[in-house]
Amino acid sequence: MDLTASGARVVTATRRPGLAPAGTVLAGSVISMVGLTWDVQWHDDVGPDTFFTLPHLFLYSGSAIVGLASLAVVLLTTAAQRAGRPVDPRIGGRAIGVFGRTFAAPAGYLTSGVGAALFLLYGLWDQWWHGLYGFDAVIDSPPHIGLLLSVTLSIIGTTMVFAAAREHRWGRIGVFGSLAVLIAFSAVTALGLQQVNLDPVEATSVGSTLLSVLLVFAGAGFLRRPGGAVATAAILAVIQAVFWWFSPWAARTYADLVGLPVRDYVSGVPDMPALMPMALLPVAALVEGYLLIARRRGWQLGRVSVLAGGLAGLLVGATLLVQRGLVYSGHVGDLTAVLATGVAAGVLGVTGGFSGWRFGGMLRLLAPVSEGSNA
Amino acid sequence: MRKTLLALGAVIGLLLATALPANAYEPVNIVHTERVQAGPYGLTVGFSTWPLRAMQSLDFTFIPDGGIGTKTGTLALHNPSAAAFQRPQPLARHPRKRDVWGLDIRALPTEGTWAFRFTINGPRGQGTGELKSLPVLAQPGPPMGLSWAISSLPLIGLVVLVVIAWRRTRGRLRGGGVPAAA
Repeated sequence: MDLTASGARVVTATRRPGLAPAGTVLAGSVISMVGLTWDVQWHDDVGPDTFFTLPHLFLYSGSAIVGLASLAVVLLTTAAQRAGRPVDPRIGGRAIGVFGRTFAAPAGYLTSGVGAALFLLYGLWDQWWHGLYGFDAVIDSPPHIGLLLSVTLSIIGTTMVFAAAREHRWGRIGVFGSLAVLIAFSAVTALGLQQVNLDPVEATSVGSTLLSVLLVFAGAGFLRRPGGAVATAAILAVIQAVFWWFSPWAARTYADLVGLPVRDYVSGVPDMPALMPMALLPVAALVEGYLLIARRRGWQLGRVSVLAGGLAGLLVGATLLVQRGLVYSGHVGDLTAVLATGVAAGVLGVTGGFSGWRFGGMLRLLAPVSEGSNA
Repeated sequence: MRKTLLALGAVIGLLLATALPANAYEPVNIVHTERVQAGPYGLTVGFSTWPLRAMQSLDFTFIPDGGIGTKTGTLALHNPSAAAFQRPQPLARHPRKRDVWGLDIRALPTEGTWAFRFTINGPRGQGTGELKSLPVLAQPGPPMGLSWAISSLPLIGLVVLVVIAWRRTRGRLRGGGVPAAA
């Protein structure tokens, strides 16, 4: 976890400065994600809840790992700066002065650390909430959405951390990996939109689609070469496939461990993986093809991303509703809702494509390498 | 490597040890009951808290006279803000009281007058009955608007962060940099 690139010790000690803390924050996010998919499945398939369940401990320890790793990097950066050693901006990005320059915090680790700290605060609020309302296993309660948004902030910080190391292959892979983790999480966070009634438009599907499109385009805009969108969507597909198997298995194994029965009439559908858009990978491949044609013809990719985002939103939004219908009931469902949701997601996808491409560019700027290079 | 594995083992052990309280689930404690007649079948509806308040979770039990035996059935809820009963769901055994039907840690989300409709199939055919006028009082705690506002703070913070970053990178992302917007 050395931070000083200038020190000869660092250069000789490791050829990958920053990989260890970056890997640790990503591992923390993945542990939280495992806890979340397990917890959601547990409530559906088994039921009873206390604060001290194993899925909860995964959720909380994941955030604790992110928080402690971020804090360690901030403290080491602060120490390095105070000692007059130059700070390597490839480790988490340029250092920002916090509390009147008391601390020097790399932008990425500052964001992931703030997310982890907020998680702790919303965790306390969630405890109070459950004391008042009981453990009612409702995913879209205000403290739960606060918790999920805090994790979102942590993962955005993780993406920034890897983006700062863009010159390394692991940095680029880490960006796509953390973007995919963000899409996986956002599928659940979007359930907060269940409070919004836009009948026949399904608000949660529109929200989930917007974030998926935005993050896939962020992958494309970050790499600025073919492959960024597909890499992000492919990692999400792997997460979805692994959790499709893992979530029901973990819920049942834990139920056996603590001697609780599985509910009557469980759907058998892995809940959190079922929320993730299955069409994202083929749609990302279409987006890559479109961007490839645009590149060859010399079109402005920033403008191209607007139309491509709209089309991606339309396809992902409509198929997401079909996917849910087929997975849960074997029927496509209400065609009016499918079309209305697809159109709404397409309209918002325009902003998703545009903003995502731009966010990808912003992520590139975190790395201290010349913009002429493709790394 | 050995140290890392030992540390990992210690963490997993600690997690499992602290997770053991998960085993200690409270029994289902019924403090109030109501009677429903569903055709030829009498049914006792039990509540683990009384009176009911919106959003507060509780255990419901549904016990047909003579036990669940070979009977099956469905339950449809009527939310006071909805025009009709929700889609019926199969009556399932309570996860912590397997000899009766029930709902565990379920909250009724809105205040007002709820209704439960039971359809029961058994040796004496099918019968339907309703528990009408189930009063649910207002939710305790802060108003939902305030709670959602508190929960939205990370989102607002994120939006502010994005706006600042967007403005600061505007110049560098035009033209020769990453052709994002123009």
